[in-house]
Amino acid sequence: MASDMDTLLSARALMGISLAFHIVYVAFGIGMPFDIMVAEGLALRTGNEMYHQLARRWVRPLVVLVAIGAVSGTVLSFELGLLWPRFMAFSGALIGLPFWLEAFAFFIEAIFLSAYIYGERRLSRRTLFLCTIPVVVGSIASAVFVISANSWMNTPAGFQLAGSEPVPGNLSNVDPLQAFANPAWLHELLHGTLATYVACNMMIAGVYALAILRGHLTEYNKRALTLVLAVAGIAAPLQIFLGDFAAVSVARLEPAKLAAMEALFHTTQGAPETILGWPDPARGEVRYALEIPRLLSILAYQDPNATVQGLDAFPPGTTPNPVLTHPSFDLMVGLGFLMAIVVIWFWGLRWLRKEVPSGKWTMRAVLIASPFGLIAQELGWFTTEFGRQPWIAAGTMSVAQGVTPDSGIEAVLIAFVGVYVALTIGLVRLVPVRAPDGGRSALQGGPHGSS
Amino acid sequence: MVPLEGLAALTVLIGLIMYAAFAGADFGGGIWTALASGPRARSQQVSLFEAIGPVWETNHVWLVFVVVALFTAFPLAFAVLFEALLVPIAMALIGIVLRGAAYAFRHYSLRDPQTMPVTGQVFSVSSMLAPFFLGIAVTATAADRIRVLAGQAQAMNLTSWVTPFTIVGGLIGLALCAYLAPIYMAVRTQGALQEDFRGRGMAAAVALGVLTALELPVALVDVPLFWQRLVHPLQLGPVGVTVILGVTTLVLLWKRAYRWAQISAAGTVAGLMTGFAAALYPDFVIGQLAITQAAAPETTLVEFLITLVIGSAILIPSLVFLYWTFGKEYPMTAGRHYG
Repeated sequence: MASDMDTLLSARALMGISLAFHIVYVAFGIGMPFDIMVAEGLALRTGNEMYHQLARRWVRPLVVLVAIGAVSGTVLSFELGLLWPRFMAFSGALIGLPFWLEAFAFFIEAIFLSAYIYGERRLSRRTLFLCTIPVVVGSIASAVFVISANSWMNTPAGFQLAGSEPVPGNLSNVDPLQAFANPAWLHELLHGTLATYVACNMMIAGVYALAILRGHLTEYNKRALTLVLAVAGIAAPLQIFLGDFAAVSVARLEPAKLAAMEALFHTTQGAPETILGWPDPARGEVRYALEIPRLLSILAYQDPNATVQGLDAFPPGTTPNPVLTHPSFDLMVGLGFLMAIVVIWFWGLRWLRKEVPSGKWTMRAVLIASPFGLIAQELGWFTTEFGRQPWIAAGTMSVAQGVTPDSGIEAVLIAFVGVYVALTIGLVRLVPVRAPDGGRSALQGGPHGSS
Repeated sequence: MVPLEGLAALTVLIGLIMYAAFAGADFGGGIWTALASGPRARSQQVSLFEAIGPVWETNHVWLVFVVVALFTAFPLAFAVLFEALLVPIAMALIGIVLRGAAYAFRHYSLRDPQTMPVTGQVFSVSSMLAPFFLGIAVTATAADRIRVLAGQAQAMNLTSWVTPFTIVGGLIGLALCAYLAPIYMAVRTQGALQEDFRGRGMAAAVALGVLTALELPVALVDVPLFWQRLVHPLQLGPVGVTVILGVTTLVLLWKRAYRWAQISAAGTVAGLMTGFAAALYPDFVIGQLAITQAAAPETTLVEFLITLVIGSAILIPSLVFLYWTFGKEYPMTAGRHYG
């Protein structure tokens, strides 16, 4: 059975690498259209051309990022069949519907993005602005739909299973709408979609903070920084609350995942919150951790004496590994708080001084925090995926039951890792951030910096 | 047969035709970029390259449409096909990804495309890789090599999809793309360049005709089961229409009626694929997996079709808007419209 293990490991590795790669581009594909819509709207409303120029400057990076997102998303849809055909044979009739809806949302997004990009000379300014709206709606809808498929894997719903074998023949009372609106969907779609806005806008803010640190304290850079930090200024603090809502929901819907997230080995009444540390499953304890008494019970159940199920409450072999889940979760939460502090700091200064803060330390803070959103997004996804193991559909089908019977998946893994390396090299080398003339970035710089 | 399965299968076929008719031309653009020749080779490449810009991503979404329609409405067929055809599908996917990425890098980079020869080569080679292996994958469903037992593809030799029938199928995929691109381009160009595309369109039309005709004796020898279905009297309809459309396209190109030739060329592709699907009917995998066996439960099919109707009501006007805005003229300067 060694080769079966290799197939399973290769399939998991390839799916993981593909998703980790795709998620980065998704953040920009969802986040940037919103910024562009806001900028075009401001240009129309205020008559300030700088906002229009700002939006058009974002198009070139956006379009490359969206193209890479589109092809890497296609890879994922194929990998569902290439790597997990048994899972899809079982669940396609249940989770196909959100993907099917997503296909239409994706069409709308692609069509109107093209119209916006290429319509500069053919469409009126008003029509251009109107084109950005379906792009924003389509991108949000895509995220909301595809997250439903993921949340179904966490909380499968909308069917009955005859016997224990998860094969299509054992399915009955198939109800795709119930599967679509599965219990984990609401908190996942709110937390997951908002994460893209945090990640994208923090990253772009970093580009402008860098430009200002390098001495380009222009009106253009200040307005751009203000715009993206306005979006992040709402999204990052709000994400703390949505994250709390998500964690409370996980406690109710996926107790084993919560136990792994919190590295809670033993069922405990008045459970403490374990911050950082290294879980040691062999000894059933967390080393080097900071423990805050009763906080986990309060956070999860709003009751300091509530009992929280530990990993020992579930049959052996059916629980996720806290060594992977707990650090991912804690780091995500930590980065989320740091970003919220940075944006609140920025807007606090803005309010006190009545001008855009551009001091060295504020800009450095924004620059340092700029990749945190993307990292937190990846960590959040690690948390939910590692936290579901060993299941591909929680409690119903194990990952091993869903994998392809084909041999040769190792070769597919190697081939696609090669493709991702090539794409990354291409992005870094061929989509220069620096324009040939002024040495300024395609994102930053003045409206006439390059092109 | 309950019409629900039939309607869902028709949706998959229409998606596949749309992908071939629209994205096929984009792959054809890559093929003719590699084959550009004569005094205007450079203009041929530039015009092909620029024409793809505003539409390739939308065209590409038809592939996602097909894949998702397949696993939603026919999860068993999706699983079986991806198990049995792992290698050609993975090869096609690599082609699709590299084509899209190479195009985006070349088209949207701030650098002069002339300084990026590698992306140009990748763009051309991957534009051939994808349709060749997609052609193999599609014809492999009729090649009578896949064996299905208890809803699962039986372990195959990794190369058992390589048969004379599927190889000719791959070449037909290539010819189909090479056929559409120059004919669409003839509508969008003028003068000598237009004549270049006219000649290339006619050459590819002949190649497509020869290869399709060649597939018939190959089927007779290699896949008797498919041959028997192909020569069924009811098949005369789609085959006849396809032949007539193919010949009509040649005549229209000869007479320089490019707008009509464009429609006729897309019609040829639709006819070809419909004829293939009709011969395959009522199966997804010939003799092994019927459409009804592969279909999802009725509730899923109903919701799938309702979504299709609602989605189309939004999608079709949007598509018309896109092609109406960008299809009328040759977007030579499209690359300079932003930034």
